[in-house]
Amino acid sequence: MSRDLVEHPQPAKGPLAPLFEILVVDDDGEILSLVARFLRANGFRVHTARSGPEMNEALRHATIDLIVLDLMLPGRSGLDLCRDLRRTSSIPVIMLTAKGEETDRIIGLEVGADDYLPKPFNPRELLARINAVLRRARTMEPGASGQTGRAFLFGGWRLDTLKRELANPEGIVVDLSTGEYDLLLAFLEAPQRVLTREFLLDAARNRSIDAFDRSIDVQVSRLRRKLDNAEELIKTVRGAGYLFAADVIRG
Amino acid sequence: MDKRRLRAISGFWRRVDSLALRTTLVVLVGIGLVHVASLWIYQHSLTRELDLATEARLADQLVAIKRAVMRVPGPERETVAHEMSGGPIEAHWSRTEHAVAGGAGSADWDALGRRLREIAPEIAEEGLVIGANRRVADDPHLALISIRLPDQSWINVSLVAWNPRVPAGHGTLLSTTLMALGAIIVSVLLVSWLTRPLTGFAEASKDLYRSRKTILVPEDGPREVRALAVAFNDMQRRIGRLIDDRTQALAAVSHDLKTPITRLRFRIEDVAEPEVRAAVAADLDEMERMLNQTLAYLRGDRADEEVKPVDVVAILETITDDASDRGQSVTLDGAGNASVPGRRLALKRAFGNLLDNAIKYGRKAEVIVEDKQNSVLVTIRDHGPGIAPGDVERALAPFVRLEPSRNQETGGFGLGLTIAQAIIDGHGGTLALASHRDGGLLVSVELPKPQRAA
Repeated sequence: MSRDLVEHPQPAKGPLAPLFEILVVDDDGEILSLVARFLRANGFRVHTARSGPEMNEALRHATIDLIVLDLMLPGRSGLDLCRDLRRTSSIPVIMLTAKGEETDRIIGLEVGADDYLPKPFNPRELLARINAVLRRARTMEPGASGQTGRAFLFGGWRLDTLKRELANPEGIVVDLSTGEYDLLLAFLEAPQRVLTREFLLDAARNRSIDAFDRSIDVQVSRLRRKLDNAEELIKTVRGAGYLFAADVIRG
Repeated sequence: MDKRRLRAISGFWRRVDSLALRTTLVVLVGIGLVHVASLWIYQHSLTRELDLATEARLADQLVAIKRAVMRVPGPERETVAHEMSGGPIEAHWSRTEHAVAGGAGSADWDALGRRLREIAPEIAEEGLVIGANRRVADDPHLALISIRLPDQSWINVSLVAWNPRVPAGHGTLLSTTLMALGAIIVSVLLVSWLTRPLTGFAEASKDLYRSRKTILVPEDGPREVRALAVAFNDMQRRIGRLIDDRTQALAAVSHDLKTPITRLRFRIEDVAEPEVRAAVAADLDEMERMLNQTLAYLRGDRADEEVKPVDVVAILETITDDASDRGQSVTLDGAGNASVPGRRLALKRAFGNLLDNAIKYGRKAEVIVEDKQNSVLVTIRDHGPGIAPGDVERALAPFVRLEPSRNQETGGFGLGLTIAQAIIDGHGGTLALASHRDGGLLVSVELPKPQRAA
């Protein structure tokens, strides 16, 4: 049921350099080779490193597009490495960890990681997140990702992307499913633009790894209900898709 | 009869189960007995003293009458005897004795006679008879003492109301009451002073059970209580260490299993048959769920999330949408918004566990939210076998599953309800399990709202 996701076309890097280069950093050799093999099979060029020094070595010799970084490493931890990296570079980072605590995720994002994946994760979930982070890095102007704005403000509402938390105008936290969160994020990153159902489906499926093929209309109506049935926030554009009508401020 | 009375007493004793009450009772009964006994002894000896004094006076009077009557010649004797009368005594002279020994109260009169002979042997030199009056009917209060004179004539002395008694005053009642009152006050003070540390013990052990926190009791008070406190604290520390060790071992195993599961997830990508791949993936999912439940249980309510106003309805919408996406029959009704101060992810886990349970055992579930003035009430009703009232406590205990026969089918290992309860408790709310009157289980979760200052 999920093979089709794996075979989804990769976001192309460009006509001259057809393959994205991924650096995977993990001290577990088995994981390293399994992840590398899986990513290669899905059309990436993969480099591996087992520690901080090896990671820096790889960064010197190749133009890396994205780093998959384990949090628990011998010597300097993944958090330290990520913090160091952010001083000189804006290469997207996806953090892996066996700790599932909420604070770990927030700290990981605070030191500049673009996304965070708790072990045990699903290969296709990793793939989906790599694609999402790469797409976001490409669509957004340089420097906009990572350490800049961690929140979106619209019509009194506030979406905190660090805590993945939506608050209504009264400050009450409104829970979102992962699909709804990704859908809202896609709208907030492209306000006042008509987004096709295909684009939104792709965006909303990034995280919902179980990939129940809920029609995008159902997902949008659920999101509207969470946003207090705000028809004027997410407008239906007949025959085309949806449009996020509010002004969005990044803060 | 005796057995029944014994049973009644032991039943009463069991009902009087407070240490303070029991001690007061024992002290009261003890002091009462001692008081009554000493009162009796005091009264008795007082009576004896008084008797002796009265008898001595009587003997003196009798001796005086005898001597005076003997000194005068026959015809004047009656006059002298009459003149010497007074008080309880009335003396007459006659040729015959009027007293008859024996009859009612003879024991008393015999004893009086013996004592008179002891005190003043002179009275009885010629003969002495004490008894009822020959001419008057048997009256124990009216007795005659007949004393024979050397010339064989008699002096008959009648004793009126020979009954010296100590008057029992109001003082006795008052002193008894005061003493009892004092005993109650002293024993209540004493017992509360002795048992105050014990109440602390009960609180500490309840806390240890409830919050898995060791709260040491103060090691002071009387020597025995101090020894108990030291032993109790030592036991608490050892239990705490035991729990910590177990927790760490379980957490370590759970953490370490995450890496092999991740590896397996990648390895099954190479499996050609889709059925096998799906089956292994489902097994891995279940293993992951169990790991997450275990870690959530070990984490308890020590969640690192901060408390914020949270919309409970939005959480329930997410959960019920997910469930119906998985093809399950779930409905959500009631309020459109209902916010409480809470931890979003923790509450999501708690309600998720409750709904999973309802679906697992009850096939379909109905969720209703009520936004009340002081709280938000969420009820989840399923259509399964429910839980017998006696099993509710067990259902909430960790690692307990009520239906062992369905282990294989339903998966999980009995942490869902425990985790939910810990989270609801951590929010100051209540979780209640009850049977719905039309069958099925009814789970009620009530989360308090902050009280607005009036």
